[in-house]
This record gives sequence, C-alpha cells and structure tokens, in this order.
Amino acid sequence: MTDAPERLSALEARTAIDAGRLSATDLLEACLERATSRHKTVRAFVHIDAEGARRAARRLDAGPAGGLLHGLPFCVKDIVDSHDQPTAYGALGGEANVPPWDGAAIALSRRAGAVLLGKTTTTELVYPRLKTTRNPLRPTHTPGGSSSGSAAAVADCQVPFGIGAQTSGSLLRPAAFCGITALKPTFQHIGNAGVRTNTEAFDTLGPMARTVADLALLRAALMGIPYAPVAPESVVRPRIAICRTPYWDRAEPATVAAMARAHDAFAVAGARLVDFELPDEFARLEHAHARISNFESARNYAHEEVRAPDAFSADFMTKRMGPGLAVTMAQFREAMRLVMGCRRWLDRAFVEEGIDAILTPSAAGEAPAGLTNTGTFIFNLIWSDVHTPAVTVPAGEGEGGLPVGVQLVGRMHEDARLLDLAAWAERRLAAQ
Amino acid sequence: MTTTMTAPAEARDLSASEAARAISTGHLTAEALARSCLDRVASRDRHVEAWAHIDPDQVIADARAADRAGPKGPLYGVPVAFKDIIDARGAPTGFNSPIYPDYHPRSDSAVSALVRLGGGIVMGKVATTEFANMHPGPCRNPLDLERTPGGSSSGSAAAVADRQVPLALGTQTSGSMLRPAAYCGIVGYKPSFGEISRVGVKQQSGSFDTLGLCARTLPDIALLRAVLTRTPHAPLQPADHPPRVRLCRIPEWMDAEEQGRVRVERAANVLADAGCDVDELALPADLFAEWFDVHRRIANFESARNFAFETDQHRDKLSATIYEGRILDGQRTTLDAYVAACRQAEAMRIWLEGAMAEVDCLLTLAAPGEAPLGMATGRPTFNSLWTLLYVPCLSLPYGKGAAGMPLSVQLVGHRFADEALLSAAATVQWILDTEDPS
Repeated sequence: MTDAPERLSALEARTAIDAGRLSATDLLEACLERATSRHKTVRAFVHIDAEGARRAARRLDAGPAGGLLHGLPFCVKDIVDSHDQPTAYGALGGEANVPPWDGAAIALSRRAGAVLLGKTTTTELVYPRLKTTRNPLRPTHTPGGSSSGSAAAVADCQVPFGIGAQTSGSLLRPAAFCGITALKPTFQHIGNAGVRTNTEAFDTLGPMARTVADLALLRAALMGIPYAPVAPESVVRPRIAICRTPYWDRAEPATVAAMARAHDAFAVAGARLVDFELPDEFARLEHAHARISNFESARNYAHEEVRAPDAFSADFMTKRMGPGLAVTMAQFREAMRLVMGCRRWLDRAFVEEGIDAILTPSAAGEAPAGLTNTGTFIFNLIWSDVHTPAVTVPAGEGEGGLPVGVQLVGRMHEDARLLDLAAWAERRLAAQ
Repeated sequence: MTTTMTAPAEARDLSASEAARAISTGHLTAEALARSCLDRVASRDRHVEAWAHIDPDQVIADARAADRAGPKGPLYGVPVAFKDIIDARGAPTGFNSPIYPDYHPRSDSAVSALVRLGGGIVMGKVATTEFANMHPGPCRNPLDLERTPGGSSSGSAAAVADRQVPLALGTQTSGSMLRPAAYCGIVGYKPSFGEISRVGVKQQSGSFDTLGLCARTLPDIALLRAVLTRTPHAPLQPADHPPRVRLCRIPEWMDAEEQGRVRVERAANVLADAGCDVDELALPADLFAEWFDVHRRIANFESARNFAFETDQHRDKLSATIYEGRILDGQRTTLDAYVAACRQAEAMRIWLEGAMAEVDCLLTLAAPGEAPLGMATGRPTFNSLWTLLYVPCLSLPYGKGAAGMPLSVQLVGHRFADEALLSAAATVQWILDTEDPS
C-alpha cells in the first residue's frame, strides 16, 4: 500500500496500479478526500462527481490495467463538454447547453482509463467577476488563469493531472504560478471537438501535471498515439536560443532571476546557449493577437450577446465584444497575415539555426497578490500565435517565495523532442 | 450584370437580395415570403426530402414577429436553412445519425445567431450525410429525383435549388458545399479558412472544417457573407478590370467526365475572347501529386480523435462508411504521416500564394460532371484541394450536360481576398451568361 497516493505523479501512480500496489479506488478516494478537504481554501472545482468517479474506479479495478491512464483521476477546465457532468463554460447561469457527448480530450482520457473527478474553474468569461480560485501555495494570491482550477488542483495534489487550455497564456502561466508543469502542444495536435471556442485561430488544449515525464504519458493518451517515455539522457549539448522577447521590459525581478538561473544551469550541463532576437514583426504580435481575439469574439459569442448578456461580465463586453465590433475585416486579415508570417519565419529559424529549443519566460513574475488579477499573458501570446509547442518547467522561487517557471518552446510538430529537452531542463533546474 | 427584373410569379422565386429589399420597402411581408417557401416545402418535401427538421408554425411566428418589429439588418425577413450539423436554437441537431436523437441545443450557433442579428429567419435544418461524411441521407436532386444532390451539404443545395428557401448554410471539409451546389445548379461558396465562426458546428477536422454558403445568385452570396462575417454589406460590384484567369487542371483532371472538362475549357476560351487575360497554371508534380493523400491524412487523423466519444460509446450506431473510411483510417495514420502531411500542405499553400501573385482567380472544375444516378454523393476530387489550401472558392452553374443536368465551373481566389473573388466571379458570370444565356 502506498502512503499519500494523492502525492504520486501520474506515472508513479500508473506504475503502482499496474504492479497491483495501488487500486484505482484507493487512489480516487485519496484524491477525493484531498479535494474535498481543501475545497474551502483552494476552490479549484466547480463540480465534482464523486459517485460517478467511484463507479468508474470500481469498473476499472474489476478489469485488467490496460490503458495508459488506467485508474488516474483527473480534472478538466470547464470549457470541455462532458456528457455526465455539467459544463458551464465559465459563464453564469444563462442557457447553458447540455451536450450528450464528451469532448475529444475527455473521451480520449477516459479511453485510456482515466477517471474524471470533476470540472474546474475557468476565468475567461467572468473576468474579473467571481474569480474565487486561490493559489494553493499562498491562498491570498491568484493561481493565474484562465485554467485556474486545473493548475490549482494539480499543484495541490487533488488530482495527478488536469486538462487546461490556452488562447493567450491561460495554460502555461497558471502552471508557472502554481509551481507545476504544463504542455501547450502544437496547434491542432489535440482535437478541439466539444471545446467551447474562445479564439479559433489560437485555442489549444494541453495537459498539466507535476512532472514533465507525466506530460509525455498524457500527451500520448490525449493524441491517441503510442507512448514513449521522455528521454532526457538523449539530450546532449542542446542548442538553446535565449529569447527575452520584445516585451522584456515587463519582466519582473523574479523572472529575470529565473532566466539567469536557467541559463547557468543549462550552461553547466553543456548546453550551447545563444541569444535569439526576434525581428520587429514579433513586437506587433501583442496588438495583432488582441485584434484577432476581439474580432472573433464579436462573432463567436453572437448568441450570448443577444440572448444572455448577463452571463458575461461588463468587462468582457467592454474589453472584448465592443472592440471586436470595431475591428474591420481588413485589420483582422492584416493581423492574421502578420501572425502567419511570424510563424513561417520562426519555423525557418529553427531549422536554419539548428535550434533545439527556445528559452523564454513563462510569466512576468510570481503570482500577483489578490484574486482578480490573474497576471499578464505578455510572455505567452507569441507562442500561442505561432502554434509551436511550449512547456513551462519550475525554476525555483521569486523573492516573495512563490514559484516561477521558465518556458521552453520547440519547433512546430516536434513536441516529443521538446518534452525530452524539458525533462532534461527539469532535472538541471531541480539540481540547482 | 443580372438578368431582367421581371416580377416573379411567387415570392419564393425572388433572390434573397430582392426579397430583403421588397420586405424593407413594404412591398412584401416576411410572412408572405415564409408562406410561399413553406407551400413549396409542403408540396415537394416528400420528393426531395431536403429537410431534417422544419417547424412551419414556428417559421410563420418568427416571420410575423419580424413584420411587427420592423426593418432590421440586411437580411430582413429572409428565411435561411442550416445543414443539420449546425446548431440552431429551437431545433434539434441530428447529424443524420441515430446516436443523438434528442439533442436540442439551447444555444444558437454563431452563424444562426448572426443570421438572426442580421434580420433573417431560421427556416429549419436541412439534410446532411452522417456527421457530414459520405454515408448519404434520403435527400434527392430536385432536378432529377433519381440522382444524388451531392453531399455532404445535400439538403442545403437541394432546398435552395428547388426554391424552398433562398439561402442555406452548409460546411466543407473536403468538397461538401461546392459539389452539391454544382450538382443542383446553384452558386456554392467556400470562404477563406478562418473568417467565419464555427461555434455550434460539430467539429470533424479542426484544420479543414469551413462553413459554406449556397444561393441562387452571386449577390445573395455576398449578402449572406456580410451577415456571417458581421461586416458592412456593400452590393456586389463587378471587378474594375477584366479578371486575370488561370485555367488549372489538377492532377486528376482526366478522371472527370469529358463534358465537364470541355465545359471548363470552353469557359476559358469565352473569357479570353471577351478580353480577359487567360492562361494556364500548372501545379508542380513534386509538390502536388499526392495532395489527395495529404488531405486525407490530415482530415482523418483529426476526425478519428474528434469522434472518440462516438467511437467508444456508440460504435454500433456508426455506419461502416464512417467507421472504416474515416475513423479507422485516421487511427491507422501515424503521427509522422500526419506531420509530414501538415508540412506538405503548408508548402503547397506558400507555393500557390506566390503563383497567384499576378492572378485574380483560378478556373477549374467544381465536380466531375453531371450529378450521377443513385444516392452516393460523389467524389470530392475537384474540391478538397482548395479546402486544403484554405483559399476561397465558388462554383457557378454553366450549361447542361447530356442528361440535362447542370454543369459548372469553379473559381478559386486568394485567401483573405474573398470580396475580390466575388467581384471577379460577377464579371466572369456576366461574360459567360452573355455569351450563352441558356
């Protein structure tokens, strides 16, 4: 029997279940107990289906341990449809759909034997109303957003893994703020069927976990591809491009220090580190990103605008919908062309300069104090726009004692290689 | 540019643009238009079977409400049909599948909400193939009930062609909007990828799914497009210069019916004679020879994942066509094959952008030829390439074949320059109609 099974990583728990040292039921009960006892402090979940999860765990224990995620409890940001649990998409009341299906990410997780414990908070639409999830490491601080609940639940050992999503910075930033790791895969590698659309041009689901090794397991299940463990030992003298981005002046001391620590840790381990400057076009991505997101919002949320305007905060209407109606088609297209040009430039740069990964900030600094400000996504939006895979890896703490991460970005479609390098980086940073 | 404006016998014979104008100026009521369309539906539905769901009482109530409320938007009072994989509040979405018999979305899709915002009326849901794949529904070609209307947007094209509704939305992941439009003798349009919201449309392939529009006239396409993109509607103008046109024979050109090929080649000659700069554009074999396989790998890899729930929970209710043809094929497609296809597709797009720099549009086939006999919806051979390349395309009816069924041409434009394509198409259509008004 394993003590505190809720603290095991996904891989550790899966191995223990396979070896018969842990049952799906025992793991679930440990996670449920943790989630329930911590709810008042962390408030990660909008809905927990204890009985449904118990039934699923019992079924799994009655059969052989087959799937990649057999017996692993998980949570999902409440923008993904679940046929047996409510999905509120982060809106309040209103005329929520009750679809009869699971979104692809939930279906594939369940196919692999995972147990859906519940749906977690998302702050996208109710910004800044009703942001109640707290950073489990310091509850007076935000966990970040919009994948707030998934980040908090995983960091707090309520579940071994969660699924979040990123349009701008909503997956990697909260993961960094909560001291865990997350993967934003290459755009379209994980199917978006059954996911509430935010911005079609950027929306990407991704797994969140406590170790990089777990991300490889989760990625295989979510993509329906064969699993191969991360191979950090295959990473020899990687060529790492240090990218401060055109927004470096917004980096706080915690981020500056984390980037320096990473630089040193990687250099000592034999990495070839080079400075990497992005051309001027990339500085215009902040504006282009907003234009595209806002333009799409004014179309994607047409139903809610007419039928359920109270479901959204005044902030959402004034900061997204209103500006979205003012963006012209010409401006939208100009922004899309800029993004596509940056994407193509970056892909060529990876190849021509032999870059293994880009090292860049995960967030501006530590998690801000208070709950209504989930932090700026300025260091995430470039990588959302260019569709490349990206991982955040814990890189110590800031002066405030809260976690900071660093972000590693790979070439489009080379997610497996990026995870190998991220596992390598994780070890180097932990050894510091 | 348009044909003479004689007063049609029935309100349902008006184009959407004409109807909206008539209703806005008080010459026609939305209710009268709705009733005219509904009468046609009532007399024809048992033959054509274009409708998956229609509630005539609701349509009339909505039309009456529109009349009471007064002019609203450029689509004021015009009924619009939606392919039954697109949600519309107040109607079920059935996907032509037994898996979801009771799915009643409480929300409009983005496009049905935008139609309502633009003053239009949701007329109902029109027939689709199973999950917009290949397994056909009961819908028949209104011009010849022994023939397919094409698919997967079967009901969209059939209902519009048969004057049961002036406008319909479909989707295209391979060839599913332009081919049925071509087979039914109307105008089909696939916009640039990424311009029209897919919220409320069940996703098959995130890399390809595109909303499609069909109508009987080009100005109607422009009108509906403005509403769906939520951009100001400007009446369609012909291009300010004769279009620079490139005839593009894709690698599968000889797979088409000879009469189909001849028709497109004739169009090229007519345009050249009228003073257009017409030439050929050859697709380089090294990049394009395997395009069909590139499209298939991406579409099926993604579809297999997106249909994970249906595969795992409702396997017995999936047709062999979709399970074996799409889902299993997608499961067997390796990640390496998918990634190679994605890279190849992007290389093709970059090449085409360069090749079309001094060109207004490509001219090519919209379908292999006339609508075939039987209910199989036909092959997307002449459509999927343009879906893959993200560029806007239009099918225009052009003449008839040996069996008396419509033939067509396809015009392909630049991504993010749809208005320019519509303008060029207006000029092309005028030239072709003037030369051969039949």
